[in-house]
Amino acid sequence: MSEERRIEPEQILVARVGNGANCSSIGSVVDTLFAAAVVGTAVFAALAAALATEEVRVVGERGGDASPEAASADARPARRGDP
Amino acid sequence: MIVRYEPWGAWVKLESTAALVALDRDGARALGLDGSLGAWGESAGPSAPVEVHLAVTERCGAGCEGCYIDARPDGREKSSDAIVRELDALRDAGVFTVAFGGGEPTTRDDLDVLAAAARQRGITPVLTTSGLGLTEARAARLRGFAQVNVSYDGPGATYASVRGFDGAAAAERAIERLVRAGVRVGVNVVLTRASFERLGHTLARARSLGACEAQLLRYKPAGRAASLDYLTRRLSPAQARSLGPTLRFLGESHCADGAFHVRIDCALVPFLSADDAIMRDPGRLTRFGVFGCEAGGALAAVRTDGRVAPCSFAAPAELHGEDLAAGHADDPTLARWRAYVAAPPEPCASCAIRGACKGGCKVVAAFVDGAHGPDPECPRVIAHRSGAA
Repeated sequence: MSEERRIEPEQILVARVGNGANCSSIGSVVDTLFAAAVVGTAVFAALAAALATEEVRVVGERGGDASPEAASADARPARRGDP
Repeated sequence: MIVRYEPWGAWVKLESTAALVALDRDGARALGLDGSLGAWGESAGPSAPVEVHLAVTERCGAGCEGCYIDARPDGREKSSDAIVRELDALRDAGVFTVAFGGGEPTTRDDLDVLAAAARQRGITPVLTTSGLGLTEARAARLRGFAQVNVSYDGPGATYASVRGFDGAAAAERAIERLVRAGVRVGVNVVLTRASFERLGHTLARARSLGACEAQLLRYKPAGRAASLDYLTRRLSPAQARSLGPTLRFLGESHCADGAFHVRIDCALVPFLSADDAIMRDPGRLTRFGVFGCEAGGALAAVRTDGRVAPCSFAAPAELHGEDLAAGHADDPTLARWRAYVAAPPEPCASCAIRGACKGGCKVVAAFVDGAHGPDPECPRVIAHRSGAA
């Protein structure tokens, strides 16, 4: 897919940076979490730029539950600004 | 990039940079996707894991006092063919990352082949090792992994205080050998009452050896660590409450130039409930992809006997790894873990960071309280039980 795409940082619900490289428990980078707001803004902008250029390949047999119950705040990534 | 449809949009694993991104539907449409697999229409069951922990052996000669699977030199080992079939199932489910572990995975001779098999299936392979006995030649054969994490709880006595023997020098040699071999290296640091106090020193040493990341792990009462010793080794309540300020200090001290990162594991997230800044802006945790207890949800573990568990520390379900794609949604054990997270009791129900934390570590709760319930070491749970919250 080579046509121009434009991804807005606001369309990114969640940004998990780095490889999860531990074999026992799932981990999350937190230094960006605690850094100044400008760092977080830069992370989202950089990811949006990367999303605009890479080739797309879809995997998985199906998506998840589209029911309203499953789409509660606990079952989906929170939208930016969600409590 | 590799994309997996979700009801709210899509998970996207980038390949030019190590990141997993959740896009809303508008963002997914901007990629040229339209939900044609039906993920945005009819109900299709809970989402598959994004990350799976794959135990490839229970063999290990290190004898760490707190080993969570009680690994031994004559432990069970999984066949290569079985692992490849499990990788097929992970691919079919749309899993993004597979973390090879054990036991000591480098006791196997086929890790390079297995890393290649994962990549062929579009899955990012990563590895955890003690580093003990890792030669230059063996280190070079780990180049197929996106990252290798070496267990390193601190220099000298700090390491020994966690594992019961001084393997720090061997771990440090392994880090250096992996870096020289061109492997991206992180360190796993188990937080005990003793190692917590030396964290700054440990991270500085790891970085000086060439590590690019430190993953901080809560000490958990599983395997050989499920004993009374756990109660003296776990973080003190004061240490748990200080996690937020400690992470800020570590970030400012070691990560300001962007060349070194600090991660926390799922079980440490509840300790952030004591952090006022986090509690004032809890959405920040989810925006930056901080995962709490995803056991049975975004995370699954496959044991050496082939059975799937909600996480590496939990008792297994009936489901087998080779059936993950077809059976993840309906397995009753995994469903029970997900159902608890969807409707936890107080004080989790009203907690501002519940969406990320998801009730804390159920393995700790089962050991300390004998129940699948709120994390008894969470500062907010402690305050609730004492009547202060």
